Amino acid sequence: MKRTGRYGKLQVPREVRALLKREVAKRVFAREFEACRELEKPSPDAAEKAASKDSKTPNLLISPLGLIFNRVFVVGVITELDSVGTQNEMWKARIVDPTGAFTVYAGQYQPEASIFFSTVEVPSFIALTGKARIYEPEPGSVFVSVRAEEANVVDEEIRNRWVVDTAEQTVERLEAFYDALSSGYHGEELQKYLLERGVSSELAEGISIVLERERAPGEFAKLLRISVKEGLKALNFDAGDSAGAEVDQKEFVLELLREMNAFKGVDYAAFVDAAVSRGIPEEVVEEVVRSLLSSGQCYEPRIGIIRLVG
Amino acid sequence: MDEKIAPHLEELTRALGDLEKSGIRAEFEKLLAFRVPPEVAKESILRKFGGKQRVLKVKDLSANLKGFEITGRVLDIGEKAIRPQEGAPQDRPSRLYTGVLADETGSVMFSSWKVLHCSVGDAINVRNAYTRLWQNRVKLSIGEQSTVSKVPDSGLPPISEISKSPTKKLLEVGAADFSVGTIACVLQLSHREVMVRGKQSRVISGVLADETGRLPFTAWTELPGVDIGSIVRIEEAQVRMFRGMPSVNILSGTKVSPVGGEEAKKLAFTFDSVRKDPSPLKIEDIAARDGMFDIAAAGNVVSVRPGSGIISRCPECGRAVQKGSCRVHGKVEGIRDMRIKAVLDDGTGTMSVMFSRELAEIIYGKTLEEAEELMFSDISKDAVYEDLRRILTGRYLAVRGNSSLNEYGISFVAESAWVPEDDLAVRVVELLHRLGSDETDGQVREIAGSEGGEGFA
Repeated sequence: MKRTGRYGKLQVPREVRALLKREVAKRVFAREFEACRELEKPSPDAAEKAASKDSKTPNLLISPLGLIFNRVFVVGVITELDSVGTQNEMWKARIVDPTGAFTVYAGQYQPEASIFFSTVEVPSFIALTGKARIYEPEPGSVFVSVRAEEANVVDEEIRNRWVVDTAEQTVERLEAFYDALSSGYHGEELQKYLLERGVSSELAEGISIVLERERAPGEFAKLLRISVKEGLKALNFDAGDSAGAEVDQKEFVLELLREMNAFKGVDYAAFVDAAVSRGIPEEVVEEVVRSLLSSGQCYEPRIGIIRLVG
Repeated sequence: MDEKIAPHLEELTRALGDLEKSGIRAEFEKLLAFRVPPEVAKESILRKFGGKQRVLKVKDLSANLKGFEITGRVLDIGEKAIRPQEGAPQDRPSRLYTGVLADETGSVMFSSWKVLHCSVGDAINVRNAYTRLWQNRVKLSIGEQSTVSKVPDSGLPPISEISKSPTKKLLEVGAADFSVGTIACVLQLSHREVMVRGKQSRVISGVLADETGRLPFTAWTELPGVDIGSIVRIEEAQVRMFRGMPSVNILSGTKVSPVGGEEAKKLAFTFDSVRKDPSPLKIEDIAARDGMFDIAAAGNVVSVRPGSGIISRCPECGRAVQKGSCRVHGKVEGIRDMRIKAVLDDGTGTMSVMFSRELAEIIYGKTLEEAEELMFSDISKDAVYEDLRRILTGRYLAVRGNSSLNEYGISFVAESAWVPEDDLAVRVVELLHRLGSDETDGQVREIAGSEGGEGFA
């Protein structure tokens, strides 16, 4: 009887070989990332499903635009870093991109990333690869985070390039998504249509899943489109001077907040008055505070009170 | 007992055909003799002999597939007597049938341990076939568990058509091609002398190019009138796989003729256009091919792999020395070298890139000597590796070289590397254009708002 191993070569089963291959690190903005949900592939065979849960199949996420992924590559500003867990054995970081923020964790099973976080300065530009994790303590509240694998400090040029790369890949998804939406096709017919239009089979599958599931699938795409556009405009390559002035004003407002000991919280109206009296226009103060709130550098413990994250 | 197993036997017969003839019945009973429950025995038999067969085309074949079904036309068949192995049972087949099977998607070599009663031009259907890698290419194997039947009306193109070597662009040439024809420009060309079976022969080797890509070629015959810059039509050239990359082999049966004048003007390429440096491909597209020659890609270094940094090489064979020994030549005095293995990722795909010492020194920014100094000044044995990670992780790199596909994904050997410089401002303008004009924003916001309201209502 012939045995399959007769030539003495290592026989690697196909399922295992798929695991040996490294997963692609997808480029995705925080806005799209935090709106992701767990991918539940419809499997007719319940036993097969149970088996696949046991084995090391990666934990796949699906974005509202149909991107299916597990690993991400992110470049952004680290704005917060905390040691959490019962014995402070876990690092929690916030990494901000032009559309929002990623929550990143690194624990004892991510030694490389943990060592990195133990020395990194806040704020700085960092590049990071990691696996997407999803935590749903109760129905309706979902936390999407990144479990860091490797990280490094990079320069602003690399960050800008990442923003443009990520925008490019997001725009490609948006275009495929709108194309799918306006085609009127569904399910397998839609996948076939998208493949013919040059969309990858993975994205075609993802889009068809999302369109089946969402009640108003176009809604998120519209918001993301605006967000990406604003993010790109904020890069501001040509207007180096005005960007510089903006940075100065932002620094000034931030300095004023520190001066007024906003780490304990200050009254917003009083702060605006103080800033205006020093010659900063009210709208600029509002804008800076808004951007500080969105980047997570300060928050509102109560309405009307702002507190700096120290 | 028999009553219990009868329904299982019936089911097996339905799925697999005559059990007695194929020896499946005997195998089933052997499992029962080992006290395997009949239900489980049936399942493992079905798994082994493949109740449900995937139907594949030649182009879908890859190494180490098993249990699939394929239909093709026999282009060539021959038999070989195999010397029986010593101590092997006498009933072992001692004849091996080899040949070429083709369908409309390509052709593949096959070998069969079963006696094949067919001749050139017949269409055959093979069930429970498997594949092996042989001389760097996929080979279809027909084993004792396979069933072969002649198909009178296969719907396959006739032999005259199927045996014609297809005309392809260089990018399309792959492991599923046995022989091809192409029109391409000669980009490089050199002569060398080699010893073939004790005879001195002259070989021409070089590089062909068209608008889709480049491929190496070797000619075992003279190519009169062909020089760098010539555009040639090549017919019936053999495709060989070397290091996972296809290469075009020009043999005595291959026709090479010049393409000139009007016809050359109609081509999508000229010598000048193919001479330009290759522009970066998406890594996703590189992963779709078995192997690619002289291509470029760009992405972020997402990981520097262990084994990067200073290594010691065997002076005899160049293999990396581990624990003071070469795995072929034993204890050796190693020669110090530097290399980098990095994972490059562009968001569409990921590949493992190998940088030689010369390139490693450029992208690392330190020479071997400087790295050695670091190694000796630090107590950590991974000082250089850690330094490499600190310098390279996250960085943008563009590389040019050859790719090949293996079970771990794409493996890329870099011939050159640089930091890609593209104008981000231009890309931003283009992206903003693709995202649509500002005027539509307010409108979009409104729609998004109203739809959101409906969602909550």
